[in-house]
Amino acid sequence: MLEGELALAMFAAVCLLLMFGFPVAFTLAGTALGFATIGTLLGAFDPGYLTAITPRIFGVMSNETLVAVPLFVLMGNILERAKIAEDLLTNMARLFGSLPGGLGISVVLVGALLAASTGIVGATVVTMGLLSLPTMLRAGYQPALATGAICATGTLGQIIPPSIALVLLGDVISSAYQQAQLKLGVINTATVSVGDLFVGAIVPGAILVGLYVLYTGLTGLLAPQKAPRATVEPIAAMTLLLGLIPPLALIALVLGSILLGAATPTEAAGVGAVGALILALLRGQMDGSRLADVSRSTLRITSMVFMILIGAAVFSLVFRGFGGDALVEEFLGDLHGGPNGALLLVMVFIFLLGFILDFIEITFVVVPIVGPVLLAMGFDPVWLGIMIALNLQTSFLTPPFGFALFYLRGVAPESVATGDIYRGVVPFILIQLLLLFALWQWPTLVTGLPQALMGKG
Amino acid sequence: MSVPAFFKPIVYSQAVLERTVGWAPLIMALLTVLIVLLRYGFGVGAIMAQEGVLYLHSALFMLGASCTLAADEHVRVDVLYRSFSARKKAWVNAIGHTIFTLPLCAVIALGSAGYVSESWHILESSPEPGGIPAVFLLKSLIPTMAGLLALQALVEIARALHCLTSEVPSNA
Repeated sequence: MLEGELALAMFAAVCLLLMFGFPVAFTLAGTALGFATIGTLLGAFDPGYLTAITPRIFGVMSNETLVAVPLFVLMGNILERAKIAEDLLTNMARLFGSLPGGLGISVVLVGALLAASTGIVGATVVTMGLLSLPTMLRAGYQPALATGAICATGTLGQIIPPSIALVLLGDVISSAYQQAQLKLGVINTATVSVGDLFVGAIVPGAILVGLYVLYTGLTGLLAPQKAPRATVEPIAAMTLLLGLIPPLALIALVLGSILLGAATPTEAAGVGAVGALILALLRGQMDGSRLADVSRSTLRITSMVFMILIGAAVFSLVFRGFGGDALVEEFLGDLHGGPNGALLLVMVFIFLLGFILDFIEITFVVVPIVGPVLLAMGFDPVWLGIMIALNLQTSFLTPPFGFALFYLRGVAPESVATGDIYRGVVPFILIQLLLLFALWQWPTLVTGLPQALMGKG
Repeated sequence: MSVPAFFKPIVYSQAVLERTVGWAPLIMALLTVLIVLLRYGFGVGAIMAQEGVLYLHSALFMLGASCTLAADEHVRVDVLYRSFSARKKAWVNAIGHTIFTLPLCAVIALGSAGYVSESWHILESSPEPGGIPAVFLLKSLIPTMAGLLALQALVEIARALHCLTSEVPSNA
């Protein structure tokens, strides 16, 4: 039982220690190593678990999906430095200029496009932070509203296809669904694919973007000092089009090639970065020293993201070494309160875990344990997958430990207080909870489209 | 920002490292475009180039970790930290690097020694035919990262101690 207590103590300790402000990556790993040492001395931890650290790091290094991260960061960096993104945003703001909160709405729409094209929370938040935060602050936006909109839009990558979270989740949910049906004695088992999850995510994703736009617009309407209308000078339609089309075409190319399956996210990101570079060169906004600068800043942002990944990997390894996940499994095995009670408990648990673990680890550690139990209770697999993805997205947004907040803090200027970021995401968290509740009440919002398109029940 | 003269070479090397590895993201992007062109234009798969992108990617964040520390860009939960005095920040960093970063580097370096030397021993090659025959170099990045990070952590500790012992309020 000592192991379980140490696992819980470690969890509490890391939350406390993070507050001192030492870099997150090293705090996660260092605390875990400290507890591993104590556990070994007390005979409650097998130091053999630590030998898995090296293969874990090598696993992060050779993960081809993650190669998209530096490329998308580079693309965002170039678009930002060449003022292309700024122009895209102001041009979009001109389109929406007559609307209150027009710039905020443009950020949400540009961000949703970007989120859809990367599907990686860290990369999208960082890219959007570099891309639009300076523009919004210059336009006189309240820092809280600006950072809230960026964090929320950045996490859309969880839910808007082609999301990597949905790919991983689709894989795990599919085998959990098989297990659940076998448990129920179903012989001709139905299957669920990653494609089903993609289609299922379209309606909730669109509703989410719509609600973000609505909130930003209403803020501009009711509290114009928080989201001042961008001063719209009348410009020739030609100028507007010339400013809008190249960057929109670039984003459409990146997004379209992934959706059509013509390119992997990594390839699309590489092409997008070079495309952004060409646009910048054509506009005379790029030279050798600026390029070196952009590339080097990409290096530092990428290193920051990956050291957090490595730190979290060490932490979760030690947590497992203490039997932390077995403890959790045992606890969930005794669930009562009906299917909805069980679902609520699991969702709260995943939400809390989202503070320290990222979706990869949660998907592979937690979902295989709780998935078959919940699916055997009769929940729809596609619906459950979308609920989990949406839940994690909310978790990544929630102060003080949401990953999106860390990433944005890393690229936000000093003038933006962390408190502003925390305050700014609150309305967006409420929107998330509203949508989660709506999907729980009306599951057809998720299952309707896949059923209509694929005739699956 | 000042550090004792003894650490100057490390500070200088980190800067050189950053200027060199700093080009990796750009080269990765160009190489990726080349891969796409080869496949769609000429129907040629380029495993070597694909693995090249992966090698650059790994090198970029493994070698960049210490430069990022030197630039103080590893993200912090700074709700309280940002309002700390320079001395308090120096305490956090001195203690943090001593009890967190250095042990982590030691564990990674020692833990990966056998893994890496085994790979060197057989001069481990790519699992893909036509891939880059230098997986041992890729794996060597793991202890290298730990070593570079530990050196930079020592610089940061020295910097923090310097701030704590000097009478003049430092703006570091």
